[in-house]
Amino acid sequence: MKKYWLIIKNTWSETLTYRLNFVMWRIRVVVQFLTIYFLWLAVLPPNTNFGPYDQKLILTYILGAWFVGAIVFSTRTADIGEAINSGDVSNTLIKPVNFFLYWFSRDLGDKAMNIMFSVVEITLVFLILEPSVFIQTQITFFALAILSIILAVIIYFFISTILGFLGFWTPETWAPRFILFILVGFIAGEIFPLDILPSGVMKFLQFSPFTYLIYFPVKVYLGQLSYPQILGGLTIALAWTILFYLFTKLVWRFGLRFYAAQGR
Amino acid sequence: MLKVNAITVKNLIKTYRVAEKSPGVLGSIKSLVRRKYRDVLAVNDISFNVEEGELVGFIGPNGAGKTTTLKCLSGLLYPTSGEVSVLNHKPWERKTQFLKSIAFVMGQKNQLWWDLPPMETFLLNKEIYDIDGANFQETIKELSSLLEIGNILLTPVKKLSLGQRMKCELVAALVHRPKVLFLDEPTIGLDVVIQKNLREFIKTYNQKYQSTIILTSHYMRDVEALARRVIIIDGGKIIFDGLLETLVKKYAPYKLISLILKKEVDVQKLKKLGIIKSYNYPQAVLSVESRETNKVVTEILKNLPVDDINVQEADIEDVIRHVFQNKK
Repeated sequence: MKKYWLIIKNTWSETLTYRLNFVMWRIRVVVQFLTIYFLWLAVLPPNTNFGPYDQKLILTYILGAWFVGAIVFSTRTADIGEAINSGDVSNTLIKPVNFFLYWFSRDLGDKAMNIMFSVVEITLVFLILEPSVFIQTQITFFALAILSIILAVIIYFFISTILGFLGFWTPETWAPRFILFILVGFIAGEIFPLDILPSGVMKFLQFSPFTYLIYFPVKVYLGQLSYPQILGGLTIALAWTILFYLFTKLVWRFGLRFYAAQGR
Repeated sequence: MLKVNAITVKNLIKTYRVAEKSPGVLGSIKSLVRRKYRDVLAVNDISFNVEEGELVGFIGPNGAGKTTTLKCLSGLLYPTSGEVSVLNHKPWERKTQFLKSIAFVMGQKNQLWWDLPPMETFLLNKEIYDIDGANFQETIKELSSLLEIGNILLTPVKKLSLGQRMKCELVAALVHRPKVLFLDEPTIGLDVVIQKNLREFIKTYNQKYQSTIILTSHYMRDVEALARRVIIIDGGKIIFDGLLETLVKKYAPYKLISLILKKEVDVQKLKKLGIIKSYNYPQAVLSVESRETNKVVTEILKNLPVDDINVQEADIEDVIRHVFQNKK
């Protein structure tokens, strides 16, 4: 498996050659975060509540969502569509490499870089803004949160990969991706915790895969879910993981038959 | 020695579906709503075998189906119909064992990691193909000295020249010493010196490792220098498959007769014998129709004061052009 380790390492060094690009990207993320942060600070003054949240909890949620977002949403799979259209994907196809592990390794390299940066950024936020946040002290919640983040990473990997596979049929692979961004921004819980929505909506959203990308892991960390709720959530997330896995494989098989290895 | 077929192709057909779009904004909208497809026949019922260790040249104009054929052979494409067998594998199954014994070098597509030194790609390929350390070191040392690139292995690929990059591409593709090698336009866009360099390298590699090689190229010089056997494809069909010499004998429209004259001769006299390619006393080169050659040579020897006479085959490019023109 050393080959996949090398792919992770190469992706890491590749990102380093575009330092400025990467730093700018992170600045964008930080500014976005600060906007949401100050918005919530204004909406919830100290000693007020909004649903199950006081100021401390909502700020922790926002910080947590930011960090989980850095892990889950950093991906290279957005390049798959282009790689198919340009024929570059042939380079992977003619080698004894597992296509999915190849791209997942690239993701891991990319994620490692993003995690490193967000750790630095969060430290800076703590030092400068000195927010009071909730620290989870129960190791079980902590471990379950990590488990749910891993599932989130895999689910997002499959969703993004499937969108990339559209490249087999059309050159316009970015249009659906923009819709994904909108969905993720709104119903994954990146900007606000989903449980401030009407309970009817929340009942519906608990079956959506997007809920498990950000909202669920952060909620587990906050310790606001009971063990049965966590177990139920993990089951749904696992079901989505398997479903997306099977669907990705299926689309891949059909796509390969359609593949024209263009551009050469 | 019993020759074994490394590649067998039988009645291979490959069609592509291409989306058609009328030009302009309105056309784009129309094609969004309802897309029209057209089937393009890229390879139309071709059959051939390649023996182990053989080096075959694929010739044909752009869009003839050369690359499509290579893509079918390397497992990138599913054939529409027909049988393809490479080292007793069906390529499109892309079994690990099959992938480990082939390589596909594309002149216009690189596998090297653009932002990293070529060595990183070599090292990754070492792991991908399970090459042990000693073997890897030896291969890299040998190939990079043959190609004279020992000094650039640690320079980021994006800083290399096209020629250096192509050489590194070759090394990356040969790290695992593939039994079958597909070379698609490996010399495209390179200068004459590097072209020659690469040609010699490919020849040495083929002889030393007895690997089976199929090469496509626009440069007839490549094919002439490397392949004894050529397959000519046009419009998805094979129009010639055989030795290069046979091709020249069969299709050469003319031959070149070069003379060294003892005495200066009137140009008009030479003109009667054939087309004058050059005349700088004492040397003259005449182009003569192939079937007339014997007659003209006799006439020259009889009537002209020659010191030396030499008959050469036609330029291979002219022969190929002639083949395509005749077909049309």
